[in-house]
Amino acid sequence: MKYIGIEKKKARWGYMFVAPAVLLFFMFSLYPMLNAFYNTFFNIKLLSLRAPKFVGLKNYIFVLNSPSFWNSMKATALFTLGAFIPLTIFSLIFGLIVTSRMRNQKAIQLLMYTPAVLSSVVAALIWMIIFDPRGIGNSIVNNILQTHGIDHRWLTDPVMLRVSTVTIYVWKYIGYFTIIFVTGIAKVPESTLEAATIAGASTMQTIRLIVLPLLKPTTLMVSIVTMLNCLKSFSTQYLFTQRGAPLEPLNVVTLNIYNTAMRDLNISRACVMSFLLFLVMMILTLSRMSSSERNVTEY
Amino acid sequence: MKRMVCLILLTALLMPLFAQGGVEEKAVLDMSAPVTLTIWTHEDANRKVLEQELIAEFMEMNPNVTVDYQTYPSSKMRELLTVSFSANQGPDIFNQSQSVVRQFVIEGRVSALDPEWIGEASLDDVTGRYIPGALAAVEYDGDIHGLPLEYTNFCTYLNKNIFRDAGLDPEKDYPKTWEEVMEVSKKLVLREGEIITRRGYDFRYPSYTMQFLPMVEQLGGKLMSDDGKTAVVGDEAWLQFFTYMRDWGPEGYNLGGPTYLPPRKVFDNNNNEIAMSDSGLYQQGRMKKANPDFFNSDDWMVIPFPQFEDAVVETAGAIACHYYMVNGQIDTLNQMWAWKLVDFMLSHSADYLEQVNLVQPTYELFESDAFAALPFSDVFAADMKKGDLVYFAGNSSAVNDKLKGAVESAMLLGEDPATVLENFRKEIQILIDDE
Repeated sequence: MKYIGIEKKKARWGYMFVAPAVLLFFMFSLYPMLNAFYNTFFNIKLLSLRAPKFVGLKNYIFVLNSPSFWNSMKATALFTLGAFIPLTIFSLIFGLIVTSRMRNQKAIQLLMYTPAVLSSVVAALIWMIIFDPRGIGNSIVNNILQTHGIDHRWLTDPVMLRVSTVTIYVWKYIGYFTIIFVTGIAKVPESTLEAATIAGASTMQTIRLIVLPLLKPTTLMVSIVTMLNCLKSFSTQYLFTQRGAPLEPLNVVTLNIYNTAMRDLNISRACVMSFLLFLVMMILTLSRMSSSERNVTEY
Repeated sequence: MKRMVCLILLTALLMPLFAQGGVEEKAVLDMSAPVTLTIWTHEDANRKVLEQELIAEFMEMNPNVTVDYQTYPSSKMRELLTVSFSANQGPDIFNQSQSVVRQFVIEGRVSALDPEWIGEASLDDVTGRYIPGALAAVEYDGDIHGLPLEYTNFCTYLNKNIFRDAGLDPEKDYPKTWEEVMEVSKKLVLREGEIITRRGYDFRYPSYTMQFLPMVEQLGGKLMSDDGKTAVVGDEAWLQFFTYMRDWGPEGYNLGGPTYLPPRKVFDNNNNEIAMSDSGLYQQGRMKKANPDFFNSDDWMVIPFPQFEDAVVETAGAIACHYYMVNGQIDTLNQMWAWKLVDFMLSHSADYLEQVNLVQPTYELFESDAFAALPFSDVFAADMKKGDLVYFAGNSSAVNDKLKGAVESAMLLGEDPATVLENFRKEIQILIDDE
């Protein structure tokens, strides 16, 4: 009988425990991704019963020469920049505010987290009522600016449309990321903060020189997750365009993918766009991670 | 281990190639064999009640048949059908409009009707039931792939009180041309600053090929050349149309727009929010339910689809047709029972008209007293004679979206009509070349 060492025995159990997760990952994540990439080289049409033909790089050439795709890249980039930066900064600020309060900390966290529980469709519907020309969006802004009767065209002007979608997104997810920052701040060692207080550091100095540097891993994680989520944003833009808002300023890559697949039935071109979006996401994530690795702080 | 993983992945990747074959099979028809049919249809509370009654009657007549009737939001139907059919898991029976069903017909996903299944000797006998052109979207290679459930054109519902409130006589001053629609709307519209609180008229925005394309056709423009190879014919007509839409929107006279509440819903409320709204005959059933007092009053009427003053072709709004279709991938026995059920339901056209206000394009119905008795059915019938079926092709949904984008560019973004036209031409040409 062949002798099996204790380490190998342990490793077998390890493999068994991770097997279900690995299997599910292969079935529902890796396989669809590889299959989508494989499909990019064929002319697969949804509904078609004909066998797909191999077309090489034709789909890539078509998509990369398509003005619609580049408009989508622009719409996605503007939305991501518009949502990702304020989302990261404000959730950090709110995280600091929440942790600095002694009273009602849980209640504030709960209140801030509430929008994240809503489905994106419901959130968009609520905000569409607010942004309706006769809705409270115009009323509030007109009251503040003393501009009675002005229609700020939240749902029709290209700039305002982007502001509207970004507003909804930030409103919906700021609570979620605030809580992640609260958790990160809670991990800052109490002894380090006490040492800073004894050394005579002011609150601002403590935040700037101790809390923020120690929060870098959390900030990195939040910034990557928000960036990826923004790049994948779909529901708000979809619902807005379904309710009459112009498509061009809102036609983010995910919406373009959806229309190419479900309306035009061209699943191969949709796969090309998905793959290109994946590449963009991968490059941005890797560059963000490498830039952070150069500035690690330890106490 | 690595080689094994690679092999599994490669097999999994290649599997779909071999799984593309159809699921066709021929079965010996045993009329007494138990059959279960699934119907997917869009939500319509009134129609659901009627169809469930008809299905119960059908099952009583044919005890071996069981029917599972499922409704879904109309906005989700196309997506559900596309996904389910792509996975070869489509329902046995479904209904959709001419623009969507064409894709299913062209791709061979739906059953071709054997006239004997519904008690007819030939396909000519089936065609002979319907007014000319009604089956156009489901005819392919000499076969019929669907039967019409509803045939809808849009005319304009007009609120007389709002006209009177603006000092207009609805009977005399109602608009006959698109130019008059704009002029009358300027008198009817109310605003608080720039914000519209009452619209004179507004378009039916999601229905671009149904409502807007006929406007261009009135002026002599076409979506594509007769040979189907060149996009956008008749530049003058298109420019006039895009200019009209720019003038209509917030960049022009600010008379309405697609982000305001849908006119047909607001119209039924009779809350001084809109004077004119486009809809089909079926709207009367909805109005009756939503606001019976208004429906039973003499405060509303229906007027024909307007024409441009310099129209070269007299065309009314296009006609939308919803068809019931049978899945061509189920076995023959199920196909036969499915067609029998569809034919049984649709043979109650008078019930569909009386209970749901849905018009089937049969000679029998158009010549019936029940149709003549409906308020303003003569206006709808007269316009139907001037209209064609809404544009249908494999790419009709994409064309509708491109026209939507072009109108929005002119109307909401205030782009120059010439630029809008050039961009629109390029987009449609890509779709044509892609077919």
